[in-house]
Amino acid sequence: MKAWLTFSPSIVNKAIISNLVKNYDITFNILRADITPKGGKMLIEISGTQQKQAVEFMEKEGIHLNPINKVVKKDEEKCIDCGACISLCPVEAIKPAEDWTVEVDDLKCIGCSFCTNSCPTRAIRVME
Amino acid sequence: MWDIMKTVREINQRIKDGDAVVVTAAEMTAIVRENGAKQAAEEIDVVTTGTFGAMCSSGAFLNFGHSDPPIKMSRTYLNGVEAYSGLAAVDAYLGATQPNRNPDIGLEYGGSHVIEDLIRGNEIELVAEAYGTDCYPLTEIKTQITLESINEAIMVNPRNCYQNYSSATNSTDETLYTYMGTLLPNMGNVSYSSAGELSPLLNDPYFQTIGTGSRIFLCGTQGYIIGEGTQFATEVERRNGVPVSTAGTLMLKGNMKEMHSDYVRGATMPKYGSTLYVGAGIPIPILNEELAQRTAISDEEITCRIVDYGVPRRSKPIVREANYHELKSGVIELNGVEVPTSPLSSQKKALEIALKLKEWIDKGEFLLTIPVEKLPNKGRTVKPLEIQKPRILVKDLKGEALILAHPTDAISEVARRMVQNSINHLPVVDEGNKLLGIVTSWDVANAVAHGKNKLTDVMTKKVIIAREEEPVDVIARRIDKNKISGLPVIDSDNRVKGMVTAEDISRLIGGD
Ligand code: SF4
Ligand code: SF4
Repeated sequence: MKAWLTFSPSIVNKAIISNLVKNYDITFNILRADITPKGGKMLIEISGTQQKQAVEFMEKEGIHLNPINKVVKKDEEKCIDCGACISLCPVEAIKPAEDWTVEVDDLKCIGCSFCTNSCPTRAIRVME
Repeated sequence: MWDIMKTVREINQRIKDGDAVVVTAAEMTAIVRENGAKQAAEEIDVVTTGTFGAMCSSGAFLNFGHSDPPIKMSRTYLNGVEAYSGLAAVDAYLGATQPNRNPDIGLEYGGSHVIEDLIRGNEIELVAEAYGTDCYPLTEIKTQITLESINEAIMVNPRNCYQNYSSATNSTDETLYTYMGTLLPNMGNVSYSSAGELSPLLNDPYFQTIGTGSRIFLCGTQGYIIGEGTQFATEVERRNGVPVSTAGTLMLKGNMKEMHSDYVRGATMPKYGSTLYVGAGIPIPILNEELAQRTAISDEEITCRIVDYGVPRRSKPIVREANYHELKSGVIELNGVEVPTSPLSSQKKALEIALKLKEWIDKGEFLLTIPVEKLPNKGRTVKPLEIQKPRILVKDLKGEALILAHPTDAISEVARRMVQNSINHLPVVDEGNKLLGIVTSWDVANAVAHGKNKLTDVMTKKVIIAREEEPVDVIARRIDKNKISGLPVIDSDNRVKGMVTAEDISRLIGGD
C-alpha cells in the first residue's frame, strides 16, 4: 500500500522505522519526504505480510496514516500519445514504450494530478 | 550538381506497376548508413515522412449554404465558437485557437474542438447574426449542421510543419503554462515539439522536391501544399544542412469531408488556449544521391536549441543546444542536473503517418507530384513587429521617495512609517540595501494582533520582484497573475531601487 504519513516533532528522532522493518518484516519504500524540526510528511510504500500490524504499530506511535487510493486512468481513445504528461510526473509513473505509446503505471502513481491538469486532450484522469 | 538518376514521372510509373520501393525516413537512415547514399538512391524510390503536432495556425473555410429566406451572415458561432464571417454571405473561416464565447467554457472548447467534432460527424449548433439587406432579409438564424449537410469544409492552415522548433524550459520559480505545454519551475522539465528525423521539412531542407502543388498526407486524406507558410525563413543557422531553429513552414489545404479523427484532434494547452493537432506527411522522391543523403538524416544530426520561456520576450535566452536523440532519450542535462523531457508532438502518430503514406503509395493509391513552383530556398527572413509606442521599462517609472525597513526596526515604528506615507508595502533590506523580504500593512496588523514585535517574524521572505530592465506590461501581467498589489524593483546587484504598485501601472496604461 501507499500512504502519506504525518508525524509530530516529538517522534522525529525515534527509531520507529527501523523497529518497523525489524519487527514486522516489511519492505519500506520512501517515495517522497518532507521532514523538518516541526514534524513532517512522508509518502511511503509498504509491502509484506504483516502490513496490518505494522500500520497499527505506527498509529500507536503517533503517526497519522493517510492511505492513497487514487489511481490514474488514461482514456485510450482520447489520448494522442503526445507525451506532454511524461516530464510532469514527479514519480516517473508515465513512460513511453518502445513504439512511443505513452503508458501509465498506476502502482507508481501518487495521485498528484499534475498530468491531469496538463493533458491537451483531457485524456488522463485521477480517480478515487 | 548531382546527376538525376530518375524522374518523378518514372517513379509514378513504378508506383502504378506496383514496383516502387518506399521506405520511411527512419528506415532510410539505417539503409544509407549500411549501404551508402549511392546504392540507396538507386534502390529507393520514395521516402515518407510524418508529423503529428500542435499547430495553432490552422483552420477551415466553411460554406453553410443559403437559407430561405436568405441571410448575409456577419457573425457566426459554431457550438459557441466564433468564426470569421467577413466574406460573402454564407462563408466563414473558423480558426483553431478561437476560444468559446461562453467564458465558463473559454479555452476548453475552441475552434480546434469544433473542427474535430465536424470531422467526427457530430452535429454542431450554428448561430448567425446579420444586419439584413434587400436581398438577404433574415437577421438571425439558429440551426444544426453537420459536415455532411454543409457545402464545403476545406481545411486551410496558414502555417504548419515548422522545419524545426526550439525546445522549452523555465528558469523562474513558478510554473508556466505555454503553447509548449506546462513548464515546471527551476528548469524542472524540457518540452520539445519536432518529430526529428521523421519531420517532413528536415528531410528536404532546401526544398528540392516539395513546393506549391505537392500532394501530401493531411489528416488522413490526400491534401496539398498551397505555398510556403507564414513566418517563412531560409536565412538561418544550419548544421548538417538542417536549420537549428525555426525556418521553413508550409501552407496546407485539404478536404475535411475526407479526413479522419485518428489524424486530427482538437486540444487545449492548459491556461494557454485551444490548438489543433494536425497530422501531416510528405513523400520525398529520391531523384539523386544527394536526396538519399538528405533523407538519411538522423536524430543525432539534428540540432535543437533549448530556450528559457521564463523570459517572456521575443528572443529568449538559449540554455543549451541538444540533438533529438538526446531529447528523445527522456532526460537531458541542464546545468549539471538531469531533467526529464516531454515530446509534445506524438512520435507514435508521426511514425503511423509515415507508414500510412507508405502503404498508400505501395498500393498505388497515391501518386507523387512535381511542384508547380518550388518553395523559396534563399533570401527570406522573419520580420519582427515593432511597437510604435515606445516600450516603457520598469526603470522609466517615476519612483516615489524610497521608503525601506530594516530587520531590526520595531513593528510599531514600521506601522507608523506606513501610515505616514500612506503605503501598503515596505521592502525589508540589509545594510547594503539588498532585499531580505517584504512587509505589508496586513502583516503589521497581524503582528500587532498576535503580540509579535520582530519584523523578521512577520515579513514575507519569498518576494515576487520586478527588474529594472523589464517592460512594464510584463510586470502588469505578473501582478495580475500573482494577485498582489505591488512589488519591489531590484537592480542587477539585487539592491532595492523602489516599489511599483498596481496603481502605478494602471495609471500608466489607463493614462493614454
Ligand atoms: S498528455 Fe494526455 S494525450 Fe498526451 S500522452 Fe499524456 S495522456 Fe495522452
Ligand atoms: S497523477 Fe501525478 S503521480 Fe500520478 S501519473 Fe499523474 S503526474 Fe504521475
